[in-house]
Amino acid sequence: MEWHNILRARLRALFRRESVLQDIEEELRAHVEMATEENLKCGLPPDAARAAALKGFGNLGRNTELGYDIRGGGWLETLWQDLRYGSRMLFKNPGFTLVAIITLALGIGANTTIFSVINSLLLKPIPFPEADRLVLVWESRVNNPEDRTIASAPNYWDWRRHNDVFEEMAIFDSAGKGYDLSGEGELERVSGVRVSAGFFDVLGVKPRLGRTFLLEEEQPGKHQVVVLSDGLWRSRYNSDPAIVGRTIKVDGENHTVIGVMPPEFEFQFFGPIRQLLTPVAYTKNDQDRSSHSFLCLARLKQGVTMDQARARMNAIGLSLAQQYPDANIGKTVKLDSIIEFGVEDQRMTLLTLLAVAGFVLLIACVNVANLLMARGAMRSRELAIRAALGASRARTIRQLLTESLLLAFAGGLSGILIAIWSGSLLLKVLPGNLRAIPFRSINSTDGLAVDYKVLAFTWGVTCLTGIIFGLAPALIFSKRNVNEFLQEGSRGTTSGGARLRQGLVVLEVALALVVLTGAGLMIQSMARLLSVAPGFDPHNVITLNISLPQENTYVGPPGHPQFAHNLQEHVGSIPGVVSVSAVSHLPIGGGGAGRGFVIEGKPDPGSENQPGAGYRVICPNYFRTMGIRLISGREFVEQDSQNAPGVIAINEAMAKQFWPNEDPLGKRIKLGLFSSDTPWLTIVGIAQDVKQGGLDRRPFPTFFRPYSQAAWPTMTLVVRTASSPGAFINPIKQALARFEPDRAASGIRTMDEVLYDSVGSRRFPMTLLVAFSLVALTLAAVGISGVVSFSVSQRTREIGICMALGASKGHVIRLVLNRSMAAALIGMVAGLAASFGLTRFLTGLLFEVKPMDPVVLGFAALILTGVAFIACYLPARRATKVDPMVALRLE
Amino acid sequence: MTRPKADLLQGTLDMLILKALSLGPLHGYGIIQRLRQLSDELLEVEQGSLYPAVYRIEQRGWISSKWGVTETGRRAKFYTLTKAGSKQLTAEEESWDRLALAIAKVRKAV
Repeated sequence: MEWHNILRARLRALFRRESVLQDIEEELRAHVEMATEENLKCGLPPDAARAAALKGFGNLGRNTELGYDIRGGGWLETLWQDLRYGSRMLFKNPGFTLVAIITLALGIGANTTIFSVINSLLLKPIPFPEADRLVLVWESRVNNPEDRTIASAPNYWDWRRHNDVFEEMAIFDSAGKGYDLSGEGELERVSGVRVSAGFFDVLGVKPRLGRTFLLEEEQPGKHQVVVLSDGLWRSRYNSDPAIVGRTIKVDGENHTVIGVMPPEFEFQFFGPIRQLLTPVAYTKNDQDRSSHSFLCLARLKQGVTMDQARARMNAIGLSLAQQYPDANIGKTVKLDSIIEFGVEDQRMTLLTLLAVAGFVLLIACVNVANLLMARGAMRSRELAIRAALGASRARTIRQLLTESLLLAFAGGLSGILIAIWSGSLLLKVLPGNLRAIPFRSINSTDGLAVDYKVLAFTWGVTCLTGIIFGLAPALIFSKRNVNEFLQEGSRGTTSGGARLRQGLVVLEVALALVVLTGAGLMIQSMARLLSVAPGFDPHNVITLNISLPQENTYVGPPGHPQFAHNLQEHVGSIPGVVSVSAVSHLPIGGGGAGRGFVIEGKPDPGSENQPGAGYRVICPNYFRTMGIRLISGREFVEQDSQNAPGVIAINEAMAKQFWPNEDPLGKRIKLGLFSSDTPWLTIVGIAQDVKQGGLDRRPFPTFFRPYSQAAWPTMTLVVRTASSPGAFINPIKQALARFEPDRAASGIRTMDEVLYDSVGSRRFPMTLLVAFSLVALTLAAVGISGVVSFSVSQRTREIGICMALGASKGHVIRLVLNRSMAAALIGMVAGLAASFGLTRFLTGLLFEVKPMDPVVLGFAALILTGVAFIACYLPARRATKVDPMVALRLE
Repeated sequence: MTRPKADLLQGTLDMLILKALSLGPLHGYGIIQRLRQLSDELLEVEQGSLYPAVYRIEQRGWISSKWGVTETGRRAKFYTLTKAGSKQLTAEEESWDRLALAIAKVRKAV
C-alpha cells in the first residue's frame, strides 16, 4: 500500500500545494506554541520563551518548504516544475520555438499521413466475420504454381462436391457487372455482381431484410430476383421497409427484390462496391468447363489449416485433370488467404513511402537538435549556475529532455492537424490500385480516419523524436561543470559542440540527398512513361460505357444486332462528331479477355499447347476513331454482318508472332480446337500495336471481331469530336436514349483522362516523394544556414581580428564557406553511398530508369550542392559586415 | 536535507518515533516529550529533524495523521501507528538488537 499512499500524497501536493503548505505551517506553529507554553511554565519571560521555542526550528519558512519537499516533492512535482519551467523557456524564445515546432510538425505530419493511409488501407479489417478462414480458390498449373486462373463453373461444382475441408464454397462473376435500373425513378446504372447461392454463407453475412438466394435460383429461368445493398436501398428506395417482394426493373426486365443487406456489408473486388446482387444464373457459356469467368470463395472448416486445405484441393484438382483432360490437362488448384491477397505491391509502395517520411523526420530531428545546440550554448550560463547550486547531471538531463519532449508534443499535435488535412487531400488523388484493394474498399467520403491506431503511432513517433533530437544536446550541456564554464564561458563555444554541429550538417545533407534521389527517379520514370507512344491518338476522344446484355459471349451472335448501325446513325450524325465506334475493352484502362484458337494449315498443337491471344470486339470505324494506324487490309464495315463470312482483324504483334514470314491477310483461324464447331474467321486487316494493358506494358498479340458477328455484354463507346469533347456528353446521351432507352451510359471519360488515370499508381508515390523532397530540401537549407549563422556569430571576434589585420571580404567569406561546404560535401558523399544502397527499394515503382541512374543522382547532388552553397553563403556574407572595432570590443 | 543528529544513527530516529507512537497517538511536540521521558531526559530530538522524519514515515504508510485537540484544548496534528508501522517497528527493533549484540560482542572481545 506504500506506493498508493505516496501517490495520493503527491497528487494532493501537486494539485493542492497551498493546502499542504498550510497544513505543515499550522502543525509547526502549534508545535512552537506548545513549546513556548512549556518554557513559560519553566519560568522564562514570554519573549525568551518564544525565542527558545523557535530556536529549535531554525528558519520556519524553510522548514515548511522542506516539509513540502518530503511530503510532495517527488518525480511528479519535479515533472510539473520542469514542464512549467520548460514552457516558460519556450515562450520566452518564440522564434526558436516556432521554427522548431513547424519543423517537427512537418516531419511528424508526413509520417502520420502515410501511416493513416496504411491504417485505412492495409490495416483496415476485412468486413466479414472470421475473415482468416476465408480463401480464394483458383485454377492453377502444375508446371507454374504461381499461375492464378479464374475458375470455370463445372470445375467449381466438382470442387464443392468433393472437398471436405470447406464449410461452404461459392463463386461470383469475376468481371462484376453494371446494371441499369429503370422503371420508377430515373434511369440509373449501378454496379452489381452475379453470385452463387452459398455466397452469403461463405462470407458469413445475413440480410437485414428478407432472404438471400436459394439453390434453385442459380438456374436460368428462376433468376429474376435481386438482393440490394444497404446503400442502394437507402438512396434509390428511400429505405422502404416494405421493399421485399416489390418488383423493380433491372436491365429492362422485371425482378423481385427478395432481400436487403446490412450497412456493414461491403463487397468489393478490384472495382467499385457492389450494390446489386443477382443469382449466378449459369448461361450456356458458363457451363463449359473451359470457360473461365468466376472467382471462387470458400470458408475453411473450423480447425482445418491452410496446408491441409491445399493438399486436399490439389488432389481434387489432379483427379479432375485426369477425368477431363480436354479442359483440365496440366491443371491443379491454388488457394490464397483473402487477408493476404492483393496487398503485396501496395504494402511495398506504402512502406517505402513511410521510410522516406522517416528520413524527412530524421532531417527535422537533426534541425531541431541543431537549434537546441545553438540555444544550449546561450544557456550555458544558466545551466552552469544550476549545476553550481547542486543540480545533478541526471537532474539537468531530465530537465532538458522534458523541454525537448514538450517541443516534440507541440510538434506532434500540429503534425496530427497536418495529417488530417493532407490525408483528406491525399484521398482525392488516391490511385485506383490503392483505392480498391480486394475486400478492403475505401470510401472517399469518410476521409482517412485518425483513429486510436494512428494516434498511438504518432504518440510513439513523437516520444522517439523528442528523445532523438534532445538527447545529444542534453548530454553535452549537462556535462559542463562550473569551472569549464568559467574558463570557456567568455568565448561561449565548445569544441565538442562545434564538431557535433558539423556532424549534423553531414547527416542532414546525406539524408536530403537520398530523399531527393528517390524523387528524381520517380520523376524520371514518370517522364519516360508519359513519353511512351500509346499507339493511338488520345486527344478529342470521349468514352462511355454501356451494357448490352448478351447470352453467348463466346461466339456471338449479338442480342442487339442493330447496335452498330444505330450508333452510326444516331451518334455519328451529331454535328461535330468526326467518327464513332465501340470496343469491348478500351485500351489502357479497359481490362481484357483472351481466347484460344487454331490456325488453318498448321499442325494441331493439341489442347495443352493451344495458342491464345487477346480478344476484342469492335464496331466499324474503330481504328479510325481511335487514331490507330491500319497497316494493311481494311476496317470492319456494316456489311460484315451476322450472316456474312466471319472476319477478324489482328494487331502487329499477332502478325509477327504467328505469321513471321508471311502476309497474314486472307489467312484463317478458328476459336477453340480443330474439332470445335465454330466457324473459320478470315483476317481482313492488320492494325498498329496499342499499349493495351497500360503505358508500361508491352503490346501482346490481339485479334478483333466485329460486334455484329460476336457481341460483348459491356461495350465502351468511343467518339472522336472536332472540338473539346466535354460539350458532347449530353448530345451523345440523348442520342443513345433514342435507340437504347433502358441503358444508362456510365464511366464517362475522355481518352486523355484515361491515360492520365492509368499512371495514377505511379503518380501517387511520385507526388508524395516530390513533396517529401521539397520539405527535406527546405529543412536542410534552414538547418545548414542555421549552423553557419551560429558559427559565424560565435567567431565574430576571430573574424573581426582577421579583418582588422587586413583580410579582404572574399577571404572572410572563403574562411566561413570552406568549413561548412566541406561538411556538406562529406554529407553528399555519404548520401550517394546511402542512395546506392536504398534506391533499389524503389525498383518496383520505376519505369525504364535504373535505381542508380547517374543522371538522376548527379542532378540531385547538383541541386543539393546549390542549395547548400546558398545556405552557407548568405550567413558567410553577413560575417563580412562585422565591424572589426565592434567585434573586438564585444567581450 | 537535514539528517538526524550525529549521535543518532541514520534510521534510528525512525525507529524511535515508531516506538514512541506504539504507546498511543501523539502530536509532533508530544513525540519529542515522550522520547525525552522514555530516555530519562538523555535524548533531545530537534524539531528540525523530527518533522522531516515524521513526514517521510507517513509517506511510507507506517503512521497516519489526523487533526485533533490536545488536553489543553489546542488544535494539533496527531500521529498514529499503522499496522504496517508496528510490523516495521518489530523488524527494526530486532535488527537493532542484533546490531547492539554484535557491537557488544566485538567490544568485549578486545
